[in-house]
Amino acid sequence: MKAVKGKLLLGGIHVPDRKSLANAAPIEVLPPPDKVAINLSQSLGRPSVPCVAAGDAVKEGQVIATAAGPISSQVFASISGTVKEIKSLITEGGAESQFIVIEGDGSGEKEYMQPLKDPSAEEIKQRIYDAGIVGLGGAGFPTAVKIAPKTPVDTLILNGAECEPYLTCDHRLMLENTDEIARGARYIAKALGVTKILIGIEVNKPDCIQKFEAYDDIGVVALKKRYPMGGEKQLIYSCTGRKVGIGKLPADSGVVVQNVATCFAVCEAVELGKPLYERVLTVSGKAVNEPKNLKVRVGTSIENIVDYCGGEKSAPKKAILGGPMTGIAIKSYDLYTKKTTSGILLMTEEEAAAEEPTPCLNCGMCADHCPMHLMPMNTAFYSSAGDYELAAKLGNTMSCIECGVCEYVCPAKRPLIQAIRKTKAAMRAKK
Amino acid sequence: MDNSIVISTPPHVKSKRTTRKIMLDVLIALAPAAICGIVYFLVDALVIEITAVVFAVLAEFIYIFIAKGGFSWKFSDDESKALSKEIKELKKQNADDPSLAEKEAKLKEIKDRLRNASFGKSTNVCKAFIHQFDFTSVVTGLILALILPSTANWYEVAIGSAFAIILVKMVFGGTGRNIANPAATGRVFMFISFSITTFTAANFAAIGGDTLSTGATYLSGYLLQGNASAMSLVDLFLGTGLAGCIGETCKLALIVGYIYLVVRKVIKWWQPVLYIAVAGLMSVAINGFDFTLFLPYILSGGLMFGAIFMATDYVTSPKGVYGQIVYYVCLGILTAVLRHFTGIEVVSFVILIMNLFVPLIDRYIIRKPFGYKREKKVKQNKEGK
Repeated sequence: MKAVKGKLLLGGIHVPDRKSLANAAPIEVLPPPDKVAINLSQSLGRPSVPCVAAGDAVKEGQVIATAAGPISSQVFASISGTVKEIKSLITEGGAESQFIVIEGDGSGEKEYMQPLKDPSAEEIKQRIYDAGIVGLGGAGFPTAVKIAPKTPVDTLILNGAECEPYLTCDHRLMLENTDEIARGARYIAKALGVTKILIGIEVNKPDCIQKFEAYDDIGVVALKKRYPMGGEKQLIYSCTGRKVGIGKLPADSGVVVQNVATCFAVCEAVELGKPLYERVLTVSGKAVNEPKNLKVRVGTSIENIVDYCGGEKSAPKKAILGGPMTGIAIKSYDLYTKKTTSGILLMTEEEAAAEEPTPCLNCGMCADHCPMHLMPMNTAFYSSAGDYELAAKLGNTMSCIECGVCEYVCPAKRPLIQAIRKTKAAMRAKK
Repeated sequence: MDNSIVISTPPHVKSKRTTRKIMLDVLIALAPAAICGIVYFLVDALVIEITAVVFAVLAEFIYIFIAKGGFSWKFSDDESKALSKEIKELKKQNADDPSLAEKEAKLKEIKDRLRNASFGKSTNVCKAFIHQFDFTSVVTGLILALILPSTANWYEVAIGSAFAIILVKMVFGGTGRNIANPAATGRVFMFISFSITTFTAANFAAIGGDTLSTGATYLSGYLLQGNASAMSLVDLFLGTGLAGCIGETCKLALIVGYIYLVVRKVIKWWQPVLYIAVAGLMSVAINGFDFTLFLPYILSGGLMFGAIFMATDYVTSPKGVYGQIVYYVCLGILTAVLRHFTGIEVVSFVILIMNLFVPLIDRYIIRKPFGYKREKKVKQNKEGK
């Protein structure tokens, strides 16, 4: 269908996207590594429970850990080989987590589920659960939970905004696997029982918009280039004009949002029976030799990936897992990818901002640009005085989506996101 | 990967804009007004502008120098005191003691070390000052100069400037911490302290005669005598042949500065417009809906300058959009009412008064988050179902 224009957001910012570094690089498949370390905490919620022991032989796609409780996901072996050990390692967030370390035998033996033909809604739901699919946009919310909403839903929105600078993995995926994404979306729509499918794509990807216009059952929304357009609440507002209430889920407004990469994973799970153990991610930044879009197995070490992209061009000032606005800064390459890792960025000093904060001017730019209409300066002011309750009340901090817009625009370079996270943690601890 | 890598919370990219760049933008926006002041009031204006800026920066420097321990010099400690005592006694008893030269050398070494440490600390404080210098004091000094009549004496300007920086800004914690606009407060302070020498003419004398040198404002002329049509609007707009404060006379220069600030997104376009429009309409209403008064009213006095450069000061205006609307409307109403009943130029006073209400506005006018629904509406929906 012909693309329609998306609604304008109040707030948000225009960030230089620097997508041209990697958006012309076709998706390459990273050769299977010799060793993978798979984090058992792959999604929001509880870590999965291992169902293999050290010494067991595993095949590619075999379940190695099962979901623990409703909000958790299945975890799969991403290479064939033997389980070496189950041990505790430091994650990119700095905390410890259990990892299953598998040493590959290079045979590439696969163990997939049975492909489904003309599946029913129940079969699709079961398959999404069995394939361990989580939201690949970044948060990693288990998709099986998301497609079983408690309230009636009438619209499925595909998130192809990719508003984060640098990242181009969704862009390439939409370009190269358009049909798989469309089929995956139809499966999800069938599982949800909805007929209306929309896809939101930012106007800086005109080639993707053109490709999706060819489908009659998918409505294309050309979104204005504005960060954070890909935020769930912002995307829903821009595509449908509906506002999701505070503390409410999108399903309460009759909408379910799925990332395009998730749709691709659903398509593969249904048609090939392939569980989610690899994903496309972007390696970019001016400090890396060859920016690339790579299909990477879960548990591959960052070092392996950076080496495949030609290594460092110059010493990076910052290395980031994920996008530059919300990603995690890392200090070592001795880390492993997860289902939700959408990018590896090595940024030079010129790109990465590492300026000292100066006193707050009360200019109010953070509040003017906040897509959630909050007042981050109040949070920062009162939390620095230790009054978290007032900080949360006057800053409306609990509605914050941590998109990073406030800190991006702050002329005084105040650490606002840090203050917001601190306040949120203090308020959650009180409850 | 080496150790120079930086770890921080996101976002890892930030805008290029800094406090220093914003303040430079304000200075550029003030430049047309400052130049027009020099053209109209000649050397007097130049002297006042330079004095105000120099003393503002100097005051900030001295405050930081003292506060950060630039003066905490120490030229002697217990060891050197004891040594010098020994040397004195030795000299009294026996001038030719062989250990005397040795001890004197040691004393000199200690004293040199102490002196170097003291001056080194002072140098570090100076470096720290330059590192944190963000041009806010230059802006304050220049604004203060531009809202003074050209008859002000240079020493009065110096005192006012130092007062504005030290007592209004620095003692509250420096940039971003002051509760009142330093320039407005400085002017009010000078008005109260030096009203006999400086401000008599500027605020009370009627227009006419030797107006350029006395600096009488057109505003006081019509406020006191009601001769609103004494000057043409073109003269009022350009400030030609018109008495007034240095930077306030040429409205064209102010509008150029306003456009620059809006284009550079330092201020929002509607902020000064709202203030000026409310002030103008309110005064029209007070004077029995005589709409011919509207243009002369908004073009006279310090209203336009105050609205563009002083009321929009980030630090002393509310943070949220709704709070800002309340703030500018109140400013407009207060300006019109106080002008009418006092017969003097009140913009600085009004800004100072409203500054004191800003914490209250910020505390109680909070923007509702995206997706917020009033409790009542939600209940009605539930009942409807």
